[in-house]
Amino acid sequence: MTDGGDHLIELVDLHKHYRVGTEIVRALRGVSLAIDVNEYVAIMGQSGSGKSTMMNILGCLDIPTKGNYLLRNQDVARLSQSKLARIRGRQIGFVFQSFELLSRTTALKNVQLPMLYAQMSNKKRRAVAALEKVGLMDRAHHRPNQLSGGQKQRVAIARALAQEPDIILADEPTGNLDSQTGDDIMRIFDSLHAEGQTIIVVTHEEHIAEHCHRVIRLRDGLVMSDERRGRRIPIAPLPGRAAIAEAVAPPMQNAIAV
Amino acid sequence: MRFHPINIVRRPFRWAVSAASRNAQNVATAAVQIWANKGRSVLTTLGIVIAVTSIITVISVVQGFGNYMTNMVRGYGTSFIVVHPWYEGERHGHGMREPTLDIHDITAVRGECPDVRRITPFVFTHNAVVSYGREKAEEIPIRGVAEEYQLIRNFPADAGRFFGPVDVDNAEPVAVLGRTLLTLLECDESIIGDYIYIDDTRFLVVGLLAEKGSFGDGDQDKTIMIPYTRSIRMYPDRTRSMSFLAEATDEDHIDAAYAQIQRTLRQRHGLTVEQPDDFYIERQDQSLQSFEEIRNISSGILGGIVSISLLVGGIGIMNMMLVSVTERTAEIGLRKSIGARRRDILLQFLTEAVVLCTFGGLIGVALGYGLSKLASMHPSMVPAEVPWWAVAAALGCSAGTGIVFGVIPAFKAAILNPIDALRHE
Ligand SMILES: Nc1ncnc2c1ncn2[C@@H]1O[C@H](COP(=O)(O)OP(=O)(O)OP(=O)(O)O)[C@@H](O)[C@H]1O
Ligand SMILES: [Mg+2]
Repeated sequence: MTDGGDHLIELVDLHKHYRVGTEIVRALRGVSLAIDVNEYVAIMGQSGSGKSTMMNILGCLDIPTKGNYLLRNQDVARLSQSKLARIRGRQIGFVFQSFELLSRTTALKNVQLPMLYAQMSNKKRRAVAALEKVGLMDRAHHRPNQLSGGQKQRVAIARALAQEPDIILADEPTGNLDSQTGDDIMRIFDSLHAEGQTIIVVTHEEHIAEHCHRVIRLRDGLVMSDERRGRRIPIAPLPGRAAIAEAVAPPMQNAIAV
Repeated sequence: MRFHPINIVRRPFRWAVSAASRNAQNVATAAVQIWANKGRSVLTTLGIVIAVTSIITVISVVQGFGNYMTNMVRGYGTSFIVVHPWYEGERHGHGMREPTLDIHDITAVRGECPDVRRITPFVFTHNAVVSYGREKAEEIPIRGVAEEYQLIRNFPADAGRFFGPVDVDNAEPVAVLGRTLLTLLECDESIIGDYIYIDDTRFLVVGLLAEKGSFGDGDQDKTIMIPYTRSIRMYPDRTRSMSFLAEATDEDHIDAAYAQIQRTLRQRHGLTVEQPDDFYIERQDQSLQSFEEIRNISSGILGGIVSISLLVGGIGIMNMMLVSVTERTAEIGLRKSIGARRRDILLQFLTEAVVLCTFGGLIGVALGYGLSKLASMHPSMVPAEVPWWAVAAALGCSAGTGIVFGVIPAFKAAILNPIDALRHE
């Protein structure tokens, strides 16, 4: 165990520079922060402030130029390629703004894909459960081009959560969706959070950020502010998780039933 | 270093199991990809199909032709030696010299060479005129031989009989006809027992030679055999170039027979050590050997040409794989983002390449097989044969091409940073 706390994520003086021709773009210029289990964090900031850069590093999709990224007290920079692949597959569920589904395979197969690389058992059962959670079981055998934007994003979320990751990272998950559909997506995150899931969401929109209980604002590659808010969605202390999920997030079926 | 025996035993086992399941998965993924890109897959495969088809066809035809030639040469008999009455390198000895071989040489060889089993003089006349009733055939080669010739050269009579030693001793005017003569003289087997005229001498037809077919340009059945004693009488000038054929006791004794004949003749001709042979001994097994050599060389050259076509097919595959990787860089990025290792990506693309190539290879083998069968159906074509090693080589080559040319783009894809791949344009 390293310095002081037992955080899930810890960034220490993180820098990321991009080389564009002869110029160097400093996308992150010394970010330090810590995120704990079951936090529900919104990352905000102007375009170009470094949000995606930071998320990519958090998701082990990119490596920092300088500084440390500790995931469960483990310095990610020291890990081998295959260990990194394992982390990407098992510990992190990444949700992209543009969904990034395999276009030629069904929703169900898409959801199974990370588990395939992670060699998990019960792939089908887990995938079905994940699709049920996002209320999309009736579209399990549809291909992405047969789904709406919101449905695609829900498939992507199911894919991110099927292998029960430690963290779900979502980079502008509602960026390509209208505000109504965006809110539906956020309600799914709300319910996942209520079940104990750690979630980090990048967004431009205040009403999306309002779902979260902590907002970190970036500006020019630095943390400008980091504020905690009262929890809008209380973590219900006692009843079973499934009950909460149902109570908090009315999935599609409920909406139709009403 | 400490050893953990249990780990040592368990690990490879677990690895093998997981590798097997991954490979199965990879083949499935590859199959899905290939199916999803039907058009492109077909085009890629086409290169390999053409390459393999040409390999199989060329090899089978060469092989078939080679077999045909070998059988032909073997059919001539390979354990005999021809002794010519000219110096080595001299062509047909039409010099002004006295003839160097006579019938006494032959008698001496027969008597003194234990490894010579059979021997026959050979007096050849190129173009006799043959007539039968009102039919007439010109430019017929006449072979004046002893009765043993039919055994040495494998020229049995399959109707009537060959002439015998008595016919030879008495220089009887008897003839054995090749089958082509029947056509030329417009008659059938009933000619046996009838008379024909060869250059105005009357001959009794005693038999017909079994059919031999043609070899190159020469029709082996367009010939007449008569006792050499009669030839000498009819064509005294041909006696100059009388040669003889000697058959060794078996193929392993050709060397011994050769040496014995050489010694006997040199002795008889009174040659000193410095003087070269005044005769020339030609070995048939040598021509078989040099023929095999030619066949191997031409196979090699054709093999080279064929490898080039395989290379071209391989470059097609490599190109396709590069395009496919570039096209699908985002997909690779996504796969890596959700936990695919470099190895998984590499394996996926490799499998795709190998499956494509093997598929193309199989189609190519089938097509090549069909083509060579088709070629065999042409009347003047020898039966082509597809040797198993050609199939193995073609399939191996095509799968190998897939691996070699799949590795480069697959590796290129596998080492990409996930986010760079995902954002690649
Ligand atoms: N691959 C790259 N090469 C060069 N520069 C880059 C690269 N990716 C990002 N940048 C630069 O880094 C800075 C931060 O980019 P980033 O994508 O993190 O911003 P962002 O906060 O996510 O913006 P947005 O809200 O528009 O998505 C920008 O100035 C951008 O131009
Ligand atoms: Mg961004």
